[in-house]
Amino acid sequence: MRGIKELIEEAGRCVRCGACKSVCPTYDVLRREQSGPRGRLSLVEASFKGESGFGGAYLKNIKECTLCGSCHSNCPNGVNIPELILAARAEGVEKGGLSLAESFAYRGLLHSERFMQAALRLASRLQGLFLKGTAFENGLVSRFSLPVIGGGRLLPELADEFFLDRSHIEELSPSATPVRGKKGGVLRVGFFAGCGVNYLLPDIGEATIRVLKESGAEVVVPQQVCCGMPAYSAGDRRTARDLALKNLEAFEASGVDIITTSCATCGHGLKKVFAELLSDEGLQMRSRVERFASMVRDITELLTGELPYKGGEKGKKGGVVTYHDPCHLRRYQGISEEPRRLLSKSVFTFKGMKHPCRCCGLGGGVGFANYELSMEIAKEKASSVRATGADVVATACPGCMVQLKDALYQSGVKARVAHVVELL
Amino acid sequence: MLKATARDEITGIVGKGNASFGKEELLCYSYDATNSLYPPDGVVFPGGPEEISRILRLANTEGFPVIPRGAGTGFTGGALAVEGGVILSLERLKGIREIDTANLTADVEPGVITGDLQAEAERLGLFYPPDPTSLKFSTIGGNIAECAGGPRAIKYGVTRDYVLGLEVVMPTGEIITTGTKKTMKGVVGYDLTRLMVGSEGTLGVVTRAFLRLLPLPEAKRTMLVEFLSLEDAAGAVEAVINAKVVPSTIEIIDDVCIRCVEKYAKVGGLASVEAVLLIEVDGKETGVQDDVARIRRIASERGAKTFWVASGRDEEKDIWNLRRAISPSLSKVKPTKLNEDVVVPRSNLVGLITGIEDIASKKGVVIASFGHAGDGNIHVNVMVDKNNAAEMQRGMDAVKDIFELTISLGGTISGEHGIGIAKASYIGMELSAEAIEVMRGIKKALDPNGILNPGKIFPKAFRQPQHA
Repeated sequence: MRGIKELIEEAGRCVRCGACKSVCPTYDVLRREQSGPRGRLSLVEASFKGESGFGGAYLKNIKECTLCGSCHSNCPNGVNIPELILAARAEGVEKGGLSLAESFAYRGLLHSERFMQAALRLASRLQGLFLKGTAFENGLVSRFSLPVIGGGRLLPELADEFFLDRSHIEELSPSATPVRGKKGGVLRVGFFAGCGVNYLLPDIGEATIRVLKESGAEVVVPQQVCCGMPAYSAGDRRTARDLALKNLEAFEASGVDIITTSCATCGHGLKKVFAELLSDEGLQMRSRVERFASMVRDITELLTGELPYKGGEKGKKGGVVTYHDPCHLRRYQGISEEPRRLLSKSVFTFKGMKHPCRCCGLGGGVGFANYELSMEIAKEKASSVRATGADVVATACPGCMVQLKDALYQSGVKARVAHVVELL
Repeated sequence: MLKATARDEITGIVGKGNASFGKEELLCYSYDATNSLYPPDGVVFPGGPEEISRILRLANTEGFPVIPRGAGTGFTGGALAVEGGVILSLERLKGIREIDTANLTADVEPGVITGDLQAEAERLGLFYPPDPTSLKFSTIGGNIAECAGGPRAIKYGVTRDYVLGLEVVMPTGEIITTGTKKTMKGVVGYDLTRLMVGSEGTLGVVTRAFLRLLPLPEAKRTMLVEFLSLEDAAGAVEAVINAKVVPSTIEIIDDVCIRCVEKYAKVGGLASVEAVLLIEVDGKETGVQDDVARIRRIASERGAKTFWVASGRDEEKDIWNLRRAISPSLSKVKPTKLNEDVVVPRSNLVGLITGIEDIASKKGVVIASFGHAGDGNIHVNVMVDKNNAAEMQRGMDAVKDIFELTISLGGTISGEHGIGIAKASYIGMELSAEAIEVMRGIKKALDPNGILNPGKIFPKAFRQPQHA
């Protein structure tokens, strides 16, 4: 893990050319220098060099970053601004602690899976009090303005039965000719569900398991906790580290050949962030976490790699599908062709959208901390989708899906949002 | 410093969310691509010409400087508050008001990003040719203020050739329109449009621009030609021009630059070459095929090692990404870049290139050259470390020698970046004292109190940057 000092040094390579502004979703919407990468870098640099404070304006601007990574991909000098922002957020948490709401969310809820489950189960039963159904596909609109949430926002409905509570998912045999793993037996795949699938979109989990079995794998769903990425993005590394360790232990005990997830954000967490969080804990831990990371595949990567998806029904009778690239999949994991290849094997006709890899606006905690900004960013995505005339928008991240559903609803675009695996 | 009452008045004019005096905002508006820091006393985001007019009138009575700013991506400090004052950011004025396909004109606000205008024009089968390398992030307002050029200048000219008319707020607050809105001709009165274009935000604030468009060329080809020496490459440029072929672009890239951007190269084998030409031709399909064949022949006669034609839009994009990455990547060579953009008549290109190589070896500094060889405009980057006083001095000496060489070859010391603060002390090398006095007279007549972007163009002592 690179510390703030090293990252500030790297920021010295910035020549203030401004190229990053052209790809930054928040700059595009807000058109203020401090709301773009060059301004954020300048603020962090000045604050840590003691030339400027860590006050309200500083915090507001570093919290506005979605961490989409476009600025880093486009920097001629390779300055990793998102990593700098993350480190600055982490320093903020170390120095000033978390706000009350953040502390409740990250330390209270995420940290204790039992408390989180209980709280959300209660919420699942009470949601009708605050939220009303829409004529749209599954989703609820807040009846009146709630703290943090605000009125009129399309929220994903909490699942009646959470995915990880379902008894039929514990251990499953392949439903087609088995594929062999390296050890000779049937390829044993551990599924990491993630909170999006578990609490909100369990159908993705069901679809993932179905496709894995149909492709010839044995599937296991070990007892697991949140991947920790929401806490990590907010700068709360302590919570993120504890969650990483719990998950590492759970999957090590399950004896799997491969670990897969259908969440782009969790995937980035499992592949790279776990190692970053646990890297300082001795050689033995390092080799454990490296081995763990080397087993992780995004579901679209697995189905175009070790466990090839053969394709189901023939013919293109499913309508038109377009695809949105999740930041955590395309820029953080370098996966962009795989989901498109899978879609080309589905019954849908593929049609690309304009700017498919522009951030949906949810990431980096922006959807939680600054809903209005997050929706402003998402508007462009909604109009890209509208221009394709697609019946379905596919993506590979439950977070993006929640955001896209809301954005399409707000913009009146009548396209369904689905995970790639749900279309196979 | 700005008086508290002046702050209140400014806030009153533009509304609370559109004026900032906080340290963080000021910091973000204290730099541009010169990478030096001059914190202003305030930043204001006006919503239109009337608000700008009121701010300028206030500046005249209160005596504070006003510095117009587009994207803050200039290379000569045009948008820096070198004498303090208020940054007038035009980021909110970002509307493309009209693209008129019958008259081939556009009506745009200054905060429109040049690349966005080009994309919108292209969608309608039209073409806005000026293409500064920063086109994806610089704005039309800034391009007009600096009279930005770009690779396509060889065939299509520069920003001034596409500005039909302007709406301008004068330094004393009057709102005027200059030139025409939709006619190609117009000779009524002095050509104030040309006076404003390239005036670096010292004579007025552009709030609307009426631009000329062309039909989008039907076909285009992009070529990458590798040479074993820079002289061979420069010779090939002269030979192409002599053969009466007019490419839309001929860019030259020297070995220092190649080494900085090699990693972006998805095509060609740049490793063993000393110079590269990036050539683009456009027009009718049959015409471009013919041009490619002629250029190929000339290049091989002039010792080209390889000749490669991009096969589609993706490869074209790769080549341009490589070209656009050069300028910012040069910091890999040395931390400080003395960035000049001299121009010589095309027939003297070889003389300029060999002269620069001599200066580099005589002064013992690394010089990276690239740029718009097709129109004789070379970006000469003297690479030094500002913390090494002796090397910095040798670099400054080299810059002076390069300017002398340029002028002796019949050229000009700035083709498209402007003067700003970076070259103010050199304008006397090119302009006579009388010519400078005429310019000062114009400035004085239009801006009697000197409140609009002071400290730029004319040599003058101003405060030191907070840190460069």
